[in-house]
Amino acid sequence: MKQAAYIVNTGIITAIGNDTAACLDALLHTKSGIGKAYHLKTHWSDELPVAEVNLSNEEMANMAGVDTRWPRTALLSAIAVKEAWQPFADKVKGLKTGFFSATTVGGMDLTENVYKAFKEDSTSVDFNNIKNHECGAITELVANHFGINDFVTTISTACSSSANSIMMAVQMIGNGMLDVAIAGGADSLSRFTLNGFNTLMILDKQPCQPFDNNRRGLNLGEGAGYVLLMSEKAIQQCRATASCIVSGYANANDAYHQTASSPDGTGNKLAMGNALKVANLQPIDIDYINLHGTGTANNDSSEGKAIEALFADKVPMASSTKAYTGHTLAAAGGVEAVFSSLSIMHGIVYPNLRWETQMEDVGFKPVTTLQQGLAIRHVLSNSFGFGGNCSSLVFSKC
Amino acid sequence: MELYITGTGIVSGAGNSSDDNFLKEPPTYNTGKLLCVEPNYTAYIPPMQLRRMSKAVRIGIGASKMCMASAGIEKPDAISVGTAMGCLADTELFLGKMIVQDEQMLTPTAFIQSTHNTVSGQIALLAGCYGHNLTFVQRGHSFEHAVMNTQLYLADNPHQQMLVGGIDELTDGSLDALKMGGINNKLNSTPADVLNGNNTGCIAGEGASFFIVTDDKPANRALCIKEVYCFADKNNTIAINKLEAYITNHLQDIDFTVLGQSGDAISNLTYQSLRSGLLKDTPQYIFKHLCGEYATASAFAVGMLANSVLRNEMLPTHCILNREAGEMKNILLINHYMHYYSCWSLQVV
Repeated sequence: MKQAAYIVNTGIITAIGNDTAACLDALLHTKSGIGKAYHLKTHWSDELPVAEVNLSNEEMANMAGVDTRWPRTALLSAIAVKEAWQPFADKVKGLKTGFFSATTVGGMDLTENVYKAFKEDSTSVDFNNIKNHECGAITELVANHFGINDFVTTISTACSSSANSIMMAVQMIGNGMLDVAIAGGADSLSRFTLNGFNTLMILDKQPCQPFDNNRRGLNLGEGAGYVLLMSEKAIQQCRATASCIVSGYANANDAYHQTASSPDGTGNKLAMGNALKVANLQPIDIDYINLHGTGTANNDSSEGKAIEALFADKVPMASSTKAYTGHTLAAAGGVEAVFSSLSIMHGIVYPNLRWETQMEDVGFKPVTTLQQGLAIRHVLSNSFGFGGNCSSLVFSKC
Repeated sequence: MELYITGTGIVSGAGNSSDDNFLKEPPTYNTGKLLCVEPNYTAYIPPMQLRRMSKAVRIGIGASKMCMASAGIEKPDAISVGTAMGCLADTELFLGKMIVQDEQMLTPTAFIQSTHNTVSGQIALLAGCYGHNLTFVQRGHSFEHAVMNTQLYLADNPHQQMLVGGIDELTDGSLDALKMGGINNKLNSTPADVLNGNNTGCIAGEGASFFIVTDDKPANRALCIKEVYCFADKNNTIAINKLEAYITNHLQDIDFTVLGQSGDAISNLTYQSLRSGLLKDTPQYIFKHLCGEYATASAFAVGMLANSVLRNEMLPTHCILNREAGEMKNILLINHYMHYYSCWSLQVV
C-alpha cells in the first residue's frame, strides 16, 4: 500500500508575482506578465516579448538572503523554496526530507556573459561566474542554504522537467523513502534559450494566444514553482493542513521528433491516460485541465487532439496559464502544479487569456472567463517537452 | 529493490565493450585527458544520422545500442539516463556562435542537440520507445539517481526491462573549467598516477555506459545491484565516517572492493584511510586508470564489472590494487566525484 503525498504548501515566483498570493491575485484579475525584457540584456528586447520577473539579481538575493553572485535560476529557486519551506523548517526534525528540483539553463545566465573572455583566456575570468554552470550546482546551492540533505536531485527533461521532479518525489514518499519533499523547478531567462527558441521560429512577437486558431508561438518566461509534499505522518508532526494530494502521475515519450510533437499527440495521450490510471480515475472525473498550451501551432494542435482522443466529446474545462507567465520551461510543471492546487483549494478555473478564434483542427474551446465557486475535485496538469518528454500529473481534493 | 543487469554497453577512453579484447591489456598513456576511443558505429547508427550527432549523442547512442544487442533486445520498456554536464559540445557551439554573431543569423541544430535530455530522447526516437524517460543532472550522483529512478519505475511497473546509463563528454572548454575548479589538473598523467596523489586534481575522462536492467532474476549469470547509497559532504572527516559506517555494515560479506581512487591528493587520502583501515584485508581494485575522472564514472565501474560477469571472466589484473580476489561474488564499489560519494552493494547471481 502506497502512502499518499499531500500538498501542504506552495512557493512560487513568476512574472505575475513574487509569491503564491501575488500570483493568485494576478490570475484572478487577468493580469499578464508578458512584456519587454528589462533585466535580460538581449539584441531581441524590442522584438521578442518575455515574461520576466521584475527584480534584479541583487533584489532577489536580498529577498532570499543569499549571495548576489548566485546564478539567477538559483535565486528564483531560493525565493520560491523559502516561501514553501519556511513555515515548516523548524518542525521537520527527525523526518526524512528531500529536495527535487529541475532546470534546463543552470547557471547559463552568468556563463554567457563571460564565455567570450573565457574562450580567449580562461584564467582572466572570475571563477564564480562559471563554477555554478551545471544544473545540479543550482540545486546544491539551494539545498545547502536550507539545510536539506536526505535526498537532493535535479531532473532535466526540457519543458517537462519539474512535472517529473514532482512525480519522483511522490513516488519516494509513496514508498516510504521520504516523509517530506520540496518538488518543482526553476529557470531564468537567458540569451542562450531566447536565441535557441528564436532559431526554431516558435517565438511569438506579440503576447501569445494559446489554443487560438491564429496563435503564432510562445513567449519565454522565467520563474520557479515548488510544492511542499508530506506523508500523513509528517502532516501530523508538523501540524500542517493538506490542500490536495498528487493522486496520479505518468511520464511517456512521444518518440517522434527531437523538438516537435507528433500530429496526433501519441506521447501526450499516453501521459494523460497513464496518469489517470495511476490516480484510478476515469476521464469524466477530471474537472479542469491545466494545459501545456504553449501557443505554438504544433503543441496546441497535438495536445488538443490527444485530449479529444481521451475525453471524446466530454472535454472538461481547460485553459493554459502560459499567457500569464510565459513558458517558464523547467519551472512550468512546478508553477502549474501550484496553480492546479490553487484551483482545487479556491474552486476556481483560470481564463485562457487573449483567446479569440476557435481552432480548426480541435473542437473544444478553452475557458475564457474566470470561473469561481466551483467544486474542483480533480485537476490534470500537462507538461510536454523537447526530446519527446511528456508528463502529466493529477491533483485531487482530499 | 534488487536490479539485475542483463546487458552492458560501454564506450570509454579504454575502448568499447563490443571489442572482444576490451580492457584485456593494461592501458598506456601520458596525457591530461582520456577521450573516448569510439567504435565503428555502422552497426548501430544510420550514417545520415551519425553525421549530425555530437560526440555525446554518438557515444550515448552507440553504448545504448551495444547494450541492447548484448541483452538481445530491440528496445527497452523505459529509459533513465544520468549526465552531469549534458551535451556540452553543442551547448558551447551554439553559445560561441551566439556571442560572435551578436545573437543573429543563428541556426537551430546545435541548440536542439544541446538540451540535457538529448541522449535519452534520441535513444527513444531511434528505438521507438514510448515508455517512461528521464534524465538526471545531479553532478556526481547523476547516474546513481538514474539507477534509483529505475528502482522506483520497476516497483510501479514490475517485470519490465529498463535501459539505464551514465554519460558525460569532455570538451576543451569544460576541461579548462574543471581545471580551475581543481577537479582535473594541468599535468600529464600515466596509468600509475591514479595511485600517487601528489597533486590537486587528476586526469580528466569521459564516457558512456549503459545497462539493461530488470527486477526479474535472470536464468543466466548476472550482476545484481543490491543497494546504492549516496551522500554529498564537503567535510572529509564526515565523509570518511559515513563511508566507514557503510563498509562496516557490509564488510563481512564482500569478496573484493572496487575503489574510485583517481590520483587527486585529497581524495586519495580518503581512500588511503579506508585501504589501510577497514579494507586492509580485503582485495582492492581500481578503475579510473581506464576511464579517467568524470561525474558519471561510477557507470563505467559498474559496466566493467557487469561486462566481466557477462563474459564469465575475472577483472583484468591491471585493476588489482593490493591482491587478487579469490572469488567474484559479493562486491563493494566505492566512488567519489568531488564531494559526491556513492557506495554500491553488488552481487554476482
